[in-house]
Amino acid sequence: MSRISKNVILALFTLTSSAFLLFQLYYYKHYLSTKNGAGLSKSKGSRIGFDSTQWRAVKKFIMLTSSQNVPVFLIDPLILELINKNFEQVKNISYGSASECKFFCVQRDFTTFALQYHLWKNEEGWFPVAENMGFQCLKTESKDPRLDGIDSLSGTEIPLHCICKWATHAIHLVVFHGRSGNYLWHGHLRLKGHIDRKFVPFRKLQFGHYPGAFDRPELQQVTIDGLEVLIPKDPAHFLEEIPHSRFIECKYKEARTFFQQYLDDNTVEAMTFQKSAKELLQLAAKTLNKLGIRFWLSSGTCLGWYRQCSIIPYSKDVDLGIFIQDYKSDIILAFQEAGLPLKHKFGKVEDSLELSFQGKDDVKLDIFFFYEEPDYMWNGGTQAKTGKKFKYLFPKFTLCWTEFVDMKVHVPCETIEYIKANYGKGWKIPIKTWDWKSSPPNVQPNGIWPISEWDEVIQLY
Amino acid sequence: MDDWKPSPLIKPFGARKKRSWYLTWKYKLTNQRALRRFCQTGAVLFLLVTVIVNIKLILDTRRAISEVNEDPEPEQDYDEALGHLVSQQQRGSGPRRVLDVEVYSSRSKVYVAVDGTTVLEDEAWEQGRGIHVIVLNQATGHVMAKRVFDTYSPHEDEAMVLFLNMVAPGRVLICTVKDEGSFHLKDTAKALLRSLGSQAGPALGWRDTWAFVGRKGGPVLGEKHSKSPALSSWGDPVLLKTDVPLSSAEEAECHWADTELNRRRRRFCSKVEGYGSVCSCKDPTPIEFSPDPLPDNKVLNVPVAVIAANRPNYLYRMLRSLLSAQGVSPQMITVFIDGYYEEPMDVVALFGLRGIQHTPISIKNARVSQHYKASLTATFNLFPEAKFAVVLEEDLDIAVDFFSFLSQSIHLLEEDDSLYCISAWNDQGYEHTAEDPALLYRVETMPGLGWVLRKSLYKEELEPKWPTPEKLWDWDIWMRMPEQRRGRECIIPDVSRSYHFGIVGLNMNGYFHEAYFKKHKFNTVPGVQLQKVDSLKKDAYEVEIHRLLSEAEVLDHTKYPCEDSFVPDTEGHIYVAFIQMEKEDDFTTWTQLAKCLHIWDLDVRGNHKGLWRLFRKKNHFLVVGVPASPYSVKKPPSVIPIYLEPPPKEEGAPGAAEQT
Repeated sequence: MSRISKNVILALFTLTSSAFLLFQLYYYKHYLSTKNGAGLSKSKGSRIGFDSTQWRAVKKFIMLTSSQNVPVFLIDPLILELINKNFEQVKNISYGSASECKFFCVQRDFTTFALQYHLWKNEEGWFPVAENMGFQCLKTESKDPRLDGIDSLSGTEIPLHCICKWATHAIHLVVFHGRSGNYLWHGHLRLKGHIDRKFVPFRKLQFGHYPGAFDRPELQQVTIDGLEVLIPKDPAHFLEEIPHSRFIECKYKEARTFFQQYLDDNTVEAMTFQKSAKELLQLAAKTLNKLGIRFWLSSGTCLGWYRQCSIIPYSKDVDLGIFIQDYKSDIILAFQEAGLPLKHKFGKVEDSLELSFQGKDDVKLDIFFFYEEPDYMWNGGTQAKTGKKFKYLFPKFTLCWTEFVDMKVHVPCETIEYIKANYGKGWKIPIKTWDWKSSPPNVQPNGIWPISEWDEVIQLY
Repeated sequence: MDDWKPSPLIKPFGARKKRSWYLTWKYKLTNQRALRRFCQTGAVLFLLVTVIVNIKLILDTRRAISEVNEDPEPEQDYDEALGHLVSQQQRGSGPRRVLDVEVYSSRSKVYVAVDGTTVLEDEAWEQGRGIHVIVLNQATGHVMAKRVFDTYSPHEDEAMVLFLNMVAPGRVLICTVKDEGSFHLKDTAKALLRSLGSQAGPALGWRDTWAFVGRKGGPVLGEKHSKSPALSSWGDPVLLKTDVPLSSAEEAECHWADTELNRRRRRFCSKVEGYGSVCSCKDPTPIEFSPDPLPDNKVLNVPVAVIAANRPNYLYRMLRSLLSAQGVSPQMITVFIDGYYEEPMDVVALFGLRGIQHTPISIKNARVSQHYKASLTATFNLFPEAKFAVVLEEDLDIAVDFFSFLSQSIHLLEEDDSLYCISAWNDQGYEHTAEDPALLYRVETMPGLGWVLRKSLYKEELEPKWPTPEKLWDWDIWMRMPEQRRGRECIIPDVSRSYHFGIVGLNMNGYFHEAYFKKHKFNTVPGVQLQKVDSLKKDAYEVEIHRLLSEAEVLDHTKYPCEDSFVPDTEGHIYVAFIQMEKEDDFTTWTQLAKCLHIWDLDVRGNHKGLWRLFRKKNHFLVVGVPASPYSVKKPPSVIPIYLEPPPKEEGAPGAAEQT
């Protein structure tokens, strides 16, 4: 009898559990379909890769930012590259129809997003919410560089980077700050004392090794792997900017020390010159940017930026450098159209090219073209009277962004070497008499133009 | 179906099947042990699988739930974390439970030291007379407020009563008298001191010295008093040394609901005192205001710079009114504090705003002017896209329709080069001379006190030649100089959208404020629709003025203009009076007229080409200076312009004008 009842009980158990199982299967299906209904992930068909940690972390992050109304946009170079390659496809795909996770499921440690700080409403309240959703967040802050140029202001610190980790994947949120000169700036991610250095593999971060500067990107909304994200409207342009985005701040503190020592020139003439030089520089920058020609602050203008964060009032001109490979033949015409007639042209494209344009109020714009040799760079000079050639040597340099007179412009990243080459160790001391043929320590005689070429290589207007 | 009887032969299908299964099992398998065992194990395995699937389902569902509604759970975590923090702090501050407090009172010097640290010392000659009051946090011993009430002078005791009433119960109060503190110490104040448990305070006499330490609403912790022996001499210096037991942090704090706002409130209230109900435990006044948004707000993205010094109570009042104004966007506000003062920074943090401190580099007026420059430059650096900035000061109330007023008028600044600024302040807009909140004027003076600055004007003209620190200039006077203003004008409303309440300031005192600022009209009506805004543009305004003058009735010029009957007792009329004004800068008669109209007469304000516009008895009242004004042509030939004699030289008005 006991055996029978045991069997009966077993059988009953089996029955109930199978009934249970059936119910569960039904419920599970139901649960999945509601999840779909909320517009989050899977649709009917088979979906490949959508269970990867990366995709889920990104999904969560997007849920978080959209629920808090924080307009983050995707700047991850890896994913933007993929998007850029399939751009037509990405733009056309209607919402959620992709069956394969192509972008966000790619193996990587980070996904990088960016945010313009002034659009970040309720910054304080954002972090608790992120933590509630399972993110572990780390935020770095620093003083506001936009206040650096002004005497003795100390303000509230601004956030630079946030890294939010979810399971094994981390979201890197780069906080962009608008700066004078209509560009966006992000800071250097510095790990201060108390920060856990093993929180994420910081070395692998795509942004934050240096401060960076970017054009203000226009944004557009796209649906990628079933997620709605904002991306730069021109991903190719943004991707091009990334490797050359390094930004260096003017050394305002040193500049103040300089002015304590040598006093600022507050005369009307000095201020008038600075004003016209600034306008000339802005006009030149506008013209060259329109042509797509890279240029940087050179000679005296570069020294003024580096030493005193302003235009040297007794310098008579504005000096720019351009790599000869960036030379375009319509440059002279473009400047003429901008109201800057050619004043003189020395050398030729193959050798020692130099252009001068006449700005307003007797301020001159000098453009030096730089030639690259295996272990140095140089630009040429020509003495109009004698046809003598000169060569100014510079150690190799790359270009960085900086802010100067309310503009985003390039300067050599290796500024101090560049300036020392041009002005020697005493560059800190203002010198008002400067002979371009003999004063620079990096000048070398470079022969003489053959008289037959003079008409071409020495043109004065 | 009642008569239906189940036949044993026709059994329901399912039942029969089940039974047959069971029977098979029973009769066939009972004998085959191995097989039976196998079936049993199978069933158990099946059960196990079910259990596993079950667990997985539960886990999945939980995860899904936590994804969908994130909020509730972890907030608790946060609470717990906070709890730990608090308890750690308590443990940390464990050993030190008593403060020694020293209080000194004498004719020429007072000081207060807490645990050996001097928190108040005043031995300046002929300064700091009266009762000095210090409030300490009963849990930490931090100084929360420091005030001096010159109760030798009238009304100061009222301020003291107001202040002491605002202090939260339980706080440690320290009072000490320097020089004289009893002459205008009235009964209300004495009663309050008695209620604090003081013996000597209520009986304080002429030139007595007095030192007191007590807990608000609690026991007196020490008191010393020395009577002045004679009218011409002071009481002996007294030095009170006493121990103040500290209470636990919990007792010192209110139990507000744990929200982001209340965290800010708690931080603020544990540091400072004297802000009234914002720190009230029971019914704290809100620190977040959600004024209605402005439809089509043109100034939503215009940065607002609040220029402040160390007047945190003013700043508190100012920010409250600013944040209550319709269309305000707190993100655009930056408070610039002149100096490394903590308390104004605390006020800024209470409201969750951005605050920037500025190290002083110059003295007095030049310091203010350098502070302005740094603040304006910083504002345009922080908001590089802004074309304008709103400049406010810490001693202003802001009208509820301040932003609405700007939103309706800011396009003028963009479209009309002949404009210098838009200001919310009408220098001549007193209770008895301003009437129409929808009316705007053009004036040649720059009133300040809540104004809009164009970025291009600042960056291209003002910033490069801003007065350097060694020039001790007032920034506003400099801005009004013809070299800067270059004939441009400002737009102002008839009824001011700001109210200047500051009575302590660089160039300000109580008398001056009472005479020139107290009766200023201030708009309190929300959403005023401004009239004919485009008629404020350069040429259109001339057309408008000519229309007004043509419609205006010429007043009886034989009457004395200071008489009340000079303007008839009508309503809604336009009247014009012609006064003598030989040259463009001859304001002799105008100044006398301004004086008797009880409006601003310290310098010339509110004029436009020799014309002043104001209201008298609800009539629009125009004053034209003849012959300097181009509007003199409207004067009927028979009318002789009024001339008022300036009074013989003997100086009246105190000080210069801070006002702007």
